[in-house]
Amino acid sequence: MSGQRTLGFVSTFILCFITWIAFTLAFTVQEILGGLIVSFLVSLISSRFLIHEDPLYLFNPSRLLGALAYIPLFIRELVKANIDVAKRSLNPKLPINPGIVKVPTELKSEYGLAMLCNSITLTPGTISMDIVEEGGKNQIYIHWIDVQSKNPKEAGDMIKGSLESGVRRIWK
Amino acid sequence: MTGFNVELTITAAFYGLLCIALLYRVIKGPHAVDRVIAGDSIDSMTVVIMALFGALSNRAVYFDMALIVSLLGFISTVVISRYLEGRS
Amino acid sequence: MILLRIIIDALFLIGGFFALAGVVGVIRMPDSYCRMQASTNTATLGALGILAGTSLYGFFVLNSLAIGVKSIVIGLFILFSNPVASHAIARAAKRCGVYMLNKSGCDQYGRDNPQ
Repeated sequence: MSGQRTLGFVSTFILCFITWIAFTLAFTVQEILGGLIVSFLVSLISSRFLIHEDPLYLFNPSRLLGALAYIPLFIRELVKANIDVAKRSLNPKLPINPGIVKVPTELKSEYGLAMLCNSITLTPGTISMDIVEEGGKNQIYIHWIDVQSKNPKEAGDMIKGSLESGVRRIWK
Repeated sequence: MTGFNVELTITAAFYGLLCIALLYRVIKGPHAVDRVIAGDSIDSMTVVIMALFGALSNRAVYFDMALIVSLLGFISTVVISRYLEGRS
Repeated sequence: MILLRIIIDALFLIGGFFALAGVVGVIRMPDSYCRMQASTNTATLGALGILAGTSLYGFFVLNSLAIGVKSIVIGLFILFSNPVASHAIARAAKRCGVYMLNKSGCDQYGRDNPQ
């Protein structure tokens, strides 16, 4: 446990420092020293809340490839959903059919669930509202602007079919 | 004259007009939640206007301020929604 | 140079169009949750299109590394923070009983968590 906490601290520190470098872009001694001190303090406070599981889990060739393959998939879904919602809101008749559906998911780990829920919320037309655990499976409540199916399985395939298969290549 | 001043100015002005249009929802919104949503949209559009203005005047300082504005908007949205959730 | 200008103009046009669609949606939609859906439209492609445009502009026209990198950082920050905020508002709205237009008759959250 202690080893994992140290690892979490170090990875938070590196993340903070990379952000600092990307945002100042000044390679003088005082800037870098200030960045080191600030990211040390920040990661001292926040690493407990940020890292709960193994931080080096992602650094595995197949998972990194999966993460790279997820980016074009996500951008395609994002553009498709954006065009759909833009058409709906500019249409004079306002063709919406909103409702909340409950959808099961196979993912178990916190990071995977967070990534899937954020992707669902970022694609316009669907917002993930809550996660509950029922019968050994995690269920997500999703507000959907155009309910096409009330069956949980079918609705899940329509909302997150390709996204979930992309996420499952990365996280458990 | 290397810049594309025309496009940057027109886009920023267009975003400003859209922000003014959203004020309708802030004033009229039937519930506090509607006001929060419209305010959040105005915030993200302000970030975009600041980025455009920074590119127009070729100064990176505006981008720092844009990041801070978007950070404050995110924090205030989350805090207001926690408050509304606890009130019920 | 002219090609770059066309690409950047196209990115600005895409951003402006989706921002317009999002604003029209926020003003026209009948209930809070649908307004939330439309406001996601503004925050994702509306903001990301413009930020991609300013990033290209900073890298290749102004030759300023700072403007390009900072645009990308702001875009990534919006991409990570916006879903958290809208998820929090959606849950708060449902918990304090904001009116929801239930056209499809499918409110499984309200069924499982009665007030």
